[in-house]
Amino acid sequence: MAANEITVKLEGVTKSFGEFTAVRELSLTVRAGRVFGLLGPNGAGKTTTIRMIVNITAPDSGRILLFGQKIDSKLQDRIGYLPEERGLYRRMRVSDQLRFFAELKNVRGKLIESRIDEWLARVKLSEWKNKRSMELSKGMQQKIQFVTSVIHDPDLLILDEPFSGLDPINVELLKEVVLDLKRAGKTIIFSTHQMEVAEKICDDICLLNRSQKIFEGSLREIKSSFGRNSIAVRCEGGDGVLDDPALVSKVVRHADEAQALLAAGANAQVLLKRLIDSGAIIGKFEMVEPSLNDIFITKVTEAT
Amino acid sequence: MTKFLAVVKREYIQRVRAKMFIVSTILLPAVMSLFGIVPAIIFSIETPPMRVAVVDQTGKMYAELKRSLDGDSSGQGAQSDNTSISSGLPRRGLGTFRLEEVNANSQSLEVIRATLDQRLRARELDGYLILPPDFVSNGKAEFFNRNAGDIVSSRALQSALNRATREQRLIEAKVDNKTRQELFKPVNLEGVSLSAGGQERDSGGRFALVFGMGFVMYLAILMYGQIILGSVVEEKETRIAEILFSSVKPFTLMMGKLVGVSFVALTQLAIWGLAFSAFALYGVGVLASRGMSLRIPGVPLSHYLYFGLFFLLGYFMYATLYALVGSMVTTAQEGGQLAMPIILILAVSFYLFLPVSRSPDSPLAFWVSIFPFSAPVAMVIRIITQTPPFWQIALSLVIGFSTVLVIMYAASRIYRVGMLMYGKRASIPEAIRWARQA
Repeated sequence: MAANEITVKLEGVTKSFGEFTAVRELSLTVRAGRVFGLLGPNGAGKTTTIRMIVNITAPDSGRILLFGQKIDSKLQDRIGYLPEERGLYRRMRVSDQLRFFAELKNVRGKLIESRIDEWLARVKLSEWKNKRSMELSKGMQQKIQFVTSVIHDPDLLILDEPFSGLDPINVELLKEVVLDLKRAGKTIIFSTHQMEVAEKICDDICLLNRSQKIFEGSLREIKSSFGRNSIAVRCEGGDGVLDDPALVSKVVRHADEAQALLAAGANAQVLLKRLIDSGAIIGKFEMVEPSLNDIFITKVTEAT
Repeated sequence: MTKFLAVVKREYIQRVRAKMFIVSTILLPAVMSLFGIVPAIIFSIETPPMRVAVVDQTGKMYAELKRSLDGDSSGQGAQSDNTSISSGLPRRGLGTFRLEEVNANSQSLEVIRATLDQRLRARELDGYLILPPDFVSNGKAEFFNRNAGDIVSSRALQSALNRATREQRLIEAKVDNKTRQELFKPVNLEGVSLSAGGQERDSGGRFALVFGMGFVMYLAILMYGQIILGSVVEEKETRIAEILFSSVKPFTLMMGKLVGVSFVALTQLAIWGLAFSAFALYGVGVLASRGMSLRIPGVPLSHYLYFGLFFLLGYFMYATLYALVGSMVTTAQEGGQLAMPIILILAVSFYLFLPVSRSPDSPLAFWVSIFPFSAPVAMVIRIITQTPPFWQIALSLVIGFSTVLVIMYAASRIYRVGMLMYGKRASIPEAIRWARQA
């Protein structure tokens, strides 16, 4: 798939439930072969947006194009969807389960069996093939759920909070799989409220807050547009300096270091000098890119 | 279509393979035959005969009473007495007596009674009967019994005494032997029902058949309806629904589920049907050769077909309602509560089986077999007792299946919204709003 091809396009999409508008006038473009982060706090409208893309619910107004076509149930077969709320049939064997989900996506015959073996090996659960899913641990079940969303080799994979509740080793494993899929030319929509996770794997992002889009674009661009006005500081003493509103607009103190956001017109050199003058012993003073979280907060504040 | 078949296949294979299916297939006929056999076994338990002393002050009743009681226990003359309480129950083992005559003239009554009381306390006797001299004319006697709770025995004794007294009175009225025998000749009432194929004997067996078929219908609809409820709630509870809906249309999923489980039900009913026919063909003969006579009325093939059709009608009606309920609730228990009114309609239609089978042509029978929610059970009961005109069967089916379509339409609209609503049980107004949406 060519890099400039568009996989998903939303144009002015609105969806309400009674009085409540879950998604308002949302337009966005997901390019092929990229990881698109759909980000925002809980209740921002991420899940509703996804449900419209996978054709579970229909928008009240606006248009959704998938692979350049209007969505219908046929196109559903090209999508893999791992919802945030997900589960497995408790009494069904893992292999039967995967076969069923593949059949629902119109995969047939021998192909299913080889895919099942292939994927179980990839998530290191081959020996659990004939176990009932209720015998699996929660983490194993999550990996099987992930496999149900990719067993039919979809062109578009939508993952809603795929890593929540997984241990770090399995998070790494799935992250690798996702990046492999991206390398294979698949488009991935990755929805999460955990900005730190999104930061590591997304190429493009769309920030949603209170049913509306706040920002959309490439992660690189947005980060460089914000410039390096964030400083990671580790020092003893000199606290008063960081709290000077003329220099620092915001400071977040972590366990052993502080993240300071420079005030408009302030200069990092000046801040460093003031810290030294105040007698602080400086362990670390580094200009860093703003975190996605900072960007999000700034954008939300700007928008309101 | 392939997706629909995938859903059907999953429902069918997963369920037929389950232990639950195998157990219930074997268990239901076992339980039902148990209900048939256990009472027979209980009543056939031999109890020791009751030892009764008779003080016959009339001097002529003892022989007659003994004859009457003996006749009773050998099974003759039982039907001739309308006070007999044991109609329909096997007589063997009930109300057998060992009589003993006490000479009433040698001592005074007080002395005799004192002796008998003593023997009673010493458990040498179970009871004694005092027939005063004027017994034949005024019919008053006293029975002293160690076990006052044994109504069966005292009733049996009473009815034997009744017959004996009647006989004695006729003798005293100078009715000759032959006439007396004529008078007491028992009548024999055999139940014969008219069916399309001619006369059929043995209404008792037919009654059991009607009850059995009605019961199986009721039970199967209820059981498979609840399987649907459980299956829908599982998909909602485990949140599989959302993944499924991203692959199949909610309507396809719901229908696939209903159809898949209906095949499971038909498989089970076919097993039961074949087992029943096999038993009717061979089992009865085997039992008969061992001295257990059992008559199973013949069931024409058309009745099996009607049973299947009305089962499908009832199944799709109630199972769709169960699917609707399942999509509105969060747990199976909640579903059970919400489904109570549904079960009630079905239960009532089953309990109406007695009036319907008694007078299958009554207006009540007609209307309950036309009303869609009671039709599956009521119509099958009517068909087996006395097949109604074909137009009534057809009308019942048409109204029934039209109702099913309406329910399916409403259910599919509520289902696709309800399945994605987590958290709390939906109220009925909410469900109505969902049905109206989009």
